[in-house]
Amino acid sequence: MAQAPASRRQLPRFLTYHGIPLWRNIVIIQWTAQIVSAVVVVALVAWFFTNIGNAIQERDIPYGFSFLSREYQTPIGEHFIPYESSDTFLYALGVAFTNTLIVSVAGVVLATLLGIFIGVARLSNNWLVAKLATVYIEFFRNVPLLVQLLFWFFIFLTLPPVREGYVISGLFYINNGGLSMPWPIPSNIGLGLAWVGIAIVGLIAGMLVDKRLTARETLTGKPAYPFISGIAAVAAVWLVGWILLTLIGGDSPFNVSVPEPQGRFGRIEGGFTARAGLLILLLGLVIYTSAFIGEIVRAGIQSVGRGQTEAARALGLSPMDTLRRVIFPQALRVIIPPLISQCLNLTKNSSLGGAVGYTDLTNVAVTMTQTAPAVSIFMLIMAGYLAMSLAWSLVGNIYNRAIQFGGRSRL
Amino acid sequence: MTANAAPAPDHMPPPRSEVGVIGWLSKNLFSGWFNTILTLISGAGIALALIFGLIWVFRDAEWGVIAQLGGRFIIGQYNTDLACPGNNCFWRPQASLLLVVALLGMVWGMTRDDVARNVAIVVGVAAAAFAFLPYGFDKMGIDVRLLLLANLPALAIGWALARYTPLGTGMRVGIAGVVIFILTLLLLRGVSWLPGMQPVSVIYWGGLMINLILAVAGITLSLPIGIALALGRRSRLPVVKVLCVGFIEIFRGVPLITLLFMSQVLIPLVFPENFPLNSLARAGIIITLFSAAYMAENIRGGLQALHPGQAEAARALGLAGWQTILFISLPQAIRNVIPAIVGQFIGLFKDTSLVYIIAMLDIVETGRTFILGNPEFLANAREMFVFLAVVFWIFTYGMSYISGRIEDKMGVGRR
Repeated sequence: MAQAPASRRQLPRFLTYHGIPLWRNIVIIQWTAQIVSAVVVVALVAWFFTNIGNAIQERDIPYGFSFLSREYQTPIGEHFIPYESSDTFLYALGVAFTNTLIVSVAGVVLATLLGIFIGVARLSNNWLVAKLATVYIEFFRNVPLLVQLLFWFFIFLTLPPVREGYVISGLFYINNGGLSMPWPIPSNIGLGLAWVGIAIVGLIAGMLVDKRLTARETLTGKPAYPFISGIAAVAAVWLVGWILLTLIGGDSPFNVSVPEPQGRFGRIEGGFTARAGLLILLLGLVIYTSAFIGEIVRAGIQSVGRGQTEAARALGLSPMDTLRRVIFPQALRVIIPPLISQCLNLTKNSSLGGAVGYTDLTNVAVTMTQTAPAVSIFMLIMAGYLAMSLAWSLVGNIYNRAIQFGGRSRL
Repeated sequence: MTANAAPAPDHMPPPRSEVGVIGWLSKNLFSGWFNTILTLISGAGIALALIFGLIWVFRDAEWGVIAQLGGRFIIGQYNTDLACPGNNCFWRPQASLLLVVALLGMVWGMTRDDVARNVAIVVGVAAAAFAFLPYGFDKMGIDVRLLLLANLPALAIGWALARYTPLGTGMRVGIAGVVIFILTLLLLRGVSWLPGMQPVSVIYWGGLMINLILAVAGITLSLPIGIALALGRRSRLPVVKVLCVGFIEIFRGVPLITLLFMSQVLIPLVFPENFPLNSLARAGIIITLFSAAYMAENIRGGLQALHPGQAEAARALGLAGWQTILFISLPQAIRNVIPAIVGQFIGLFKDTSLVYIIAMLDIVETGRTFILGNPEFLANAREMFVFLAVVFWIFTYGMSYISGRIEDKMGVGRR
């Protein structure tokens, strides 16, 4: 100890900072670490881009974003917005983006519903049901999505062709091309939109009725049947709107278009045809993700104390009401954050669409790299996926906040 | 009750409807009409599925497609004429397997733990059992079978080495593990100046071998990188923090398949031409970094859940910052998130099947290309993918079994 001050005194001043040697001063060490890491990363990135630049010049590789306004000239198998080969790269990327968006939104909705069902089933009092749900989760969670998708893909491939496909009561057509089903088609745009508007108003009215009657029930303690009344209100608004619009427009707002085989090859016209690629991808994603969501839902429900169930049952609530009104609102707070990350995973997993013939964003981008600069395309689809991730996080966080408030105000 | 009646015994036996098989049935399956209906419906469903499933498995399914591919599921085209003229490279993957089994034996001998014992014995016996596959001797020679049988002695040698020689410490077994992994890669890759070890290009490697190599490399490397990223993300140094957050969010925001494909397009541009980075190494790097980004978030969760008092107490006792992190925070944080970490490992193993996008023939892609190349087997694709699903399930279920046992031993959730 006695030697330490002596040795410190001998140090030249430029080797110390506030009297402490530079190599032992925490401020200096931290700043050096930061500057070194920043320099290394900047150097790496610079080296990365210099090399790409050199390679582009030496090997005459196209670069930049000017390709976006060129014609793509390649068909896209599945598209939900009109697309032709003469459209530009930018528009084609937009088409691919909507494909990924549609399959992920549909997948998230279906997987969440199925996942809640599986999670509740896993906690069932019924031994058989609980074991069945456990087997479902343990199997589908542990097998790679790709294997599952390819399994469904080859099952679909061995289905009969369009002409010999299965027909269910003349309404549904299942064959190796996909699934065709009846679909409502608006008789004209104005009437269709008007009725959709009325339908939304009806839904809001129904929710208001449900909320009001629930409040009255809570206040008076007399049954007011909020849920049934809400549904009745929705149905009434829809029906009245439908009749009014039919009287005004002279035609019902929507007509049901039934698929029918046409011509010598039995091509199916009318209705809505979900192509095989979309169906397989959706099937695989929903089954795979629902196994994960099932586990999340189970953990969420188990995180609510047993006393809550017992208290609700003691107050006379039915098992269904206990789950719907007491357990689930509390479990949601635990469920939502991991559920959001499953939504993100599902969106990213939809990039496997290429393996089963669905033209999702990644699949189209991979094809595009043959005729356009890969670096630019990579940046664009990265931005696309990041945008989708952010959107899911945003939706999830808003919902999360809403249920947090709702949960507290009800208490 | 009258006074004459015999006094009731203190302990009446429970009613017969509440104990035994009947009690269990009425409690778990037939309590109330709703449960009874559920039981009947799901029971009927299970019975139908079992009957049709068993009929399919034992009568209708043609498992010949799997026998047809046989060894290609395991090593791909490694031993074909193209990869290894003369077809005499078969012993190299098998020798690698022997080394791995010996390593498992060493771990068992060192820890004398029943989980390690079960794993080592199951792997060793399963490998040896492959020697008795009902192939003709022209398809599967006696040399191949003998090398497979040698897994049992290899297991015993590994166990004895760890038990009776100074090799049996954790540090040395760890070093042996790294050495064996490198030796395995060397054996498979070949050395040009050694007779009998002609190099085999990575493009001919395939099958389960690739999945396992990528998974082992990814698992061992993604954990330390993930820990470093998690610490960086929690760092008070703004530059380090921003860099780590950027890395994590970019790798988590993009699908792995996109990253893999872009690695194939971009890495040749970024590195000078003839840079020795083959497709297997590229896939390994990308899978490792991708997994490390997720791992970082898991570990960050564990660190955040830790009570700040732990770190404060450590600092108060005079531990330096790095000592606090290394000896106090990290061990507790990692122990708390073992389930999430193992889940990530399982995800990584499943993700190794995505290397199809860069034209590597892993076990799934081997099967798929075989079916697409031989349309007469199109109807047998379901047998193929059921088989692949079972193979993956065995590995992933084994991983979660090991993790569950380790959690029990460490008392996760009880302390």
